Amino acid sequence: MNRRLTPWLLPVALLAGWQAAVTAGLVSNRFMPAPLDVARAGLAAASTGELWTNLGVSALRALAGFAIGGGIGFTLGLANGLSRISERLTDTSVQMIRNIPHLSLIPLVILWFGIGEEAKLFLVALGVFFPIYANTLHGIRSVDPGLVEMGRVYGMSRFELFRRVVLPGALPSIFVGLRYGLGIMWLTLIVAETISASSGLGYMAMQAREFMLVDVVVLAILIYALLGKLADALTRQLERVTLSWNPAYRTA
Amino acid sequence: MLLDALRPDLPGLDRARHADADSKSEPVRDRAGAATRPKGAARGIAVTVRDLRKDFDGHSVIDGLDLHIPAGQFTAVVGRSGCGKSTLLRLILGLETPSGGRIGLEAPEAASRRNAPSKRIMFQDPRLLPWARVVDNVAVGLTGLGSRAERRDRALAALAEVGLADKAGQWPATLSGGQRQRVALARALVSGPGLLALDEPLGALDALTRIGMQGLIERIWQQQGFTALLVTHDVAEAVALADRILVVDHGRVALDVRVDVPRPRRRGDPDLAALEGRILEHLLGEQTA
Repeated sequence: MNRRLTPWLLPVALLAGWQAAVTAGLVSNRFMPAPLDVARAGLAAASTGELWTNLGVSALRALAGFAIGGGIGFTLGLANGLSRISERLTDTSVQMIRNIPHLSLIPLVILWFGIGEEAKLFLVALGVFFPIYANTLHGIRSVDPGLVEMGRVYGMSRFELFRRVVLPGALPSIFVGLRYGLGIMWLTLIVAETISASSGLGYMAMQAREFMLVDVVVLAILIYALLGKLADALTRQLERVTLSWNPAYRTA
Repeated sequence: MLLDALRPDLPGLDRARHADADSKSEPVRDRAGAATRPKGAARGIAVTVRDLRKDFDGHSVIDGLDLHIPAGQFTAVVGRSGCGKSTLLRLILGLETPSGGRIGLEAPEAASRRNAPSKRIMFQDPRLLPWARVVDNVAVGLTGLGSRAERRDRALAALAEVGLADKAGQWPATLSGGQRQRVALARALVSGPGLLALDEPLGALDALTRIGMQGLIERIWQQQGFTALLVTHDVAEAVALADRILVVDHGRVALDVRVDVPRPRRRGDPDLAALEGRILEHLLGEQTA
C-alpha cells in the first residue's frame, strides 16, 4: 500500500502548498486559481455534461488518430524490418518526412481540411507514426541473430519464426515506441484543438481563456496531466503482462 | 501421417531403441538394457565428406577435406582457433553452403522412414528464447511434430532426462548458465536426432559444471546411439568423451586418432593423459612450425 501511495506524495503536497499560497494571498487568484476553485469548476463542468462531451470528443480523436498512425507505423516498421526491398524503397522518404516538425504542417492542414475532424486525425496520426515506426524497425533489427538461426535450424517456418522469435524479441522496443507515441498523441491533439476546433478539451480551454475563466484553463491542463498518466499506466501494465519473461520488467 | 515416434507413450528420448519397433505394445523404459545395446545401428547417421572446400571472400577455410564418420561414433574435432573446425561443423549441418566438394549424410532406413529431424546442433551459447518458459523452449525442438500436448509431454520427458523436470515452468532468465545449457541439450535431443553437432557447447561453463555436463552428454549418447560430432578447443574434453579425435589444421584433417580407452573413463587415466599430451604436442608443434 505504501509503495502505491509514495508516487502521489509529491503531487498532493504541491496541491496543498498551492492552495495554502492562494488562501494566504501570496498569489492572486485572477492568474492562478486555488485548487479548490479548480475542483469546483470541474464539478460544474461535469454536472452540465460539458466536460464529458469535450473529454469524449478529445479521447475519440486521440485514439482514432493513434490507431491510424500507429497502425501504419507498425506495419511499415515490420515490413522494413523484415524486407530489404521494402526498406530500400521507403526508408529514405520516411526519414526525410520525419525531420519536418509535424506541427509546422498546421497551416497547411487547416487549408486542406478546414477545422474539421480530418485535420486533427491527420496531425495525430502523423505525429504518432514516427516513434512507432522507428522503434518497431529498431526492435526487429536488434533481435538476436543467433536466436533466428536457432529457429531456422529447428525447422520453424517463416511465419513461426516471426511469431515465436522476431516479434517477441522486438516487443520491448515496440513498447518504447508506444509510450513515446502516446505522449505525442496528447501533445498534438491539444495543440491542434487549441488552434482550430469547435469541441474538445483544447477548445474548452481556449473558450475559457476568452472569458477569463482561469479555473477552467487550469482544469483542462490538470486533465491533460491525468490523461497522460493514465495512458502511461496502461502501457506499463501491458508491458508487465507481455514482458514478464524479462527481469527488467518483472516488478511487483 | 502421425509418426510412430510421436505416440504419447514414447517420450522422445527413449525412442532410439525403437527405431524398428512399430508394435505399440513393446515396453519402453528399460534404461539399463539400453546402455548395453549395440549403439549406432539403430539410429545414428553416417557422415561422408569428400574434397570439401569453403572460401570466405577468397580466403580458403576448408581446403579439400575428406572424412568419414560411421553411424553412432562420437567424434571430437580439435584445432587452434581459426583452423576451420567450426566451419566444418556448420557445413555438415547445412548452415553454410560449401564452395566445393560433397557432404553425404546417410541415415539408417528405419530413421528415414520415420522422417524425424535428422540433425541437431547445440551452440556455444544456449540460445534459448527468453520469452518462452523452459518447457516451451525444449518443445522448440519438436517444431512441426505432433500436437501441442504431445510436444509438451515429450519436452517434459526430455527435461527430466537432463535433471531439470522441476524447472519446466520457469523463465530461462532464472536459470544458471549450466542449467540453460542443459535445457539446450534437452531441446537438441527431444526429437531424437540421428546426428548431434556440438559447437563448443561447454566453453562458457565453469570447470565443475563442465565435467558434470560431459558426463551427462556421454550418458545420453550411450543410451540413444546418435552420431555425435563435438567441436572443442579443450583437448582434455575431447579425450574424455570421444571415440575418435580429429585434429584440423589449415582446413584439412592433420591427425586422426582413435581413443580406445574403455568407458566409463576415469579422469586422470594415464592412457588418456598420454593421448592428450600427444595431441597437444601436435597442436603446439604446428604453431612453432
